[in-house]
Amino acid sequence: MKIILPNSTINIIQEDPVSITSILDNLNINPSEVIVSRNGKLVPEDTLIGGDDEIRIIRIAHGG
Amino acid sequence: MNQGNPVTGRSERCTLCSEPPVIRLPEPERHLCAAHLIADVEERAARTISERELIKSHDRIAIAFSGGKDSTALLVILSRLLPAWEDVSLVAITVDEGIAGYRNDTIRAAEEVTKKLRIEHVCISFTDLIGDDLDTLLIGRETQACSVCGILRRKALSVAAHKAGATKIATGHNLDDEAQSVLMNTLRGDLPRLVRTSDADSSGCFIPRIKPLAEISEKEIAAYLFVQDMFPFLPECPYTRHALRLEVRTMLSAMEQKHPGTMRNLIKSKRAIEKYVDPSVFSEPLRRCRVCGDPCSGELCQVCSLRKSLGK
Repeated sequence: MKIILPNSTINIIQEDPVSITSILDNLNINPSEVIVSRNGKLVPEDTLIGGDDEIRIIRIAHGG
Repeated sequence: MNQGNPVTGRSERCTLCSEPPVIRLPEPERHLCAAHLIADVEERAARTISERELIKSHDRIAIAFSGGKDSTALLVILSRLLPAWEDVSLVAITVDEGIAGYRNDTIRAAEEVTKKLRIEHVCISFTDLIGDDLDTLLIGRETQACSVCGILRRKALSVAAHKAGATKIATGHNLDDEAQSVLMNTLRGDLPRLVRTSDADSSGCFIPRIKPLAEISEKEIAAYLFVQDMFPFLPECPYTRHALRLEVRTMLSAMEQKHPGTMRNLIKSKRAIEKYVDPSVFSEPLRRCRVCGDPCSGELCQVCSLRKSLGK
């Protein structure tokens, strides 16, 4: 499973299935500061993911 | 109604229909699909406008439009609510501070959105206003970036709004921004600013400011735009790292995550304090700046004081 981080780096994880909350927790990312898409579609953080899912974590804070 | 898994709380369906959810929201706890999220956000913005009487017939609303997510959401929402009001018009105003590697992208995004929504769009730059861009003004004083930029941005917006004939200035401040401001003013011990509301000005000297998104969280706004393919993927302002707001934002969002409702409670506290404090106690008599003649509380307005300190 591919995880695209807010800084565009890519992590591959083997754990399957796993919740997005748990992934964010492991990455020390506060869920209130991001939105997360699975295969291009927005999903809540309590979604279970796995297999060939591509997960993108998008930081929402934007000064200005 | 779909209650989700009673053990994990996880839901594979929207609380209101059978579509897949895109967001989980607290208070009340619910999962919403894209269509219900869009409806929920727009209804709450409309309710804020109606309950606080932010927009009246014949208003011309100048939207402070950076091209970032909050002002983009504001523009989209107001353009959709527009038919409900009698003879109200919108104009988007973008301030180009002159921040290399940042503002050009957001201005391009702003132009695309206004074109798509067919909303009148005007730009005003710091160079027009003061003769230099922000990057030049800040050489050797980068840590003052947000206060210098804030003063000039307010002035630029006001100049452009007056020129456009606006009767209100709408900003994209969201629930998170409002809670951060309460905490920042408290940390600074700034009670006058804590109880002052920009829309309460009765002097007639300033264009009243309105915040239609003040009850909507930053995350809801981001999700609202993302599900409509309108989320602007833009760089963060390079000066943000110098801001107290950044520290407060990080602290508050951690508190919100751990103790949901923290942000709303902060705003509730501010409103409770407002009830017991007479804002006129803090308001100094309105004077005119001795340089430019603009209304202000001291001898010089903030812009002329800044000009003086910058040697401009």
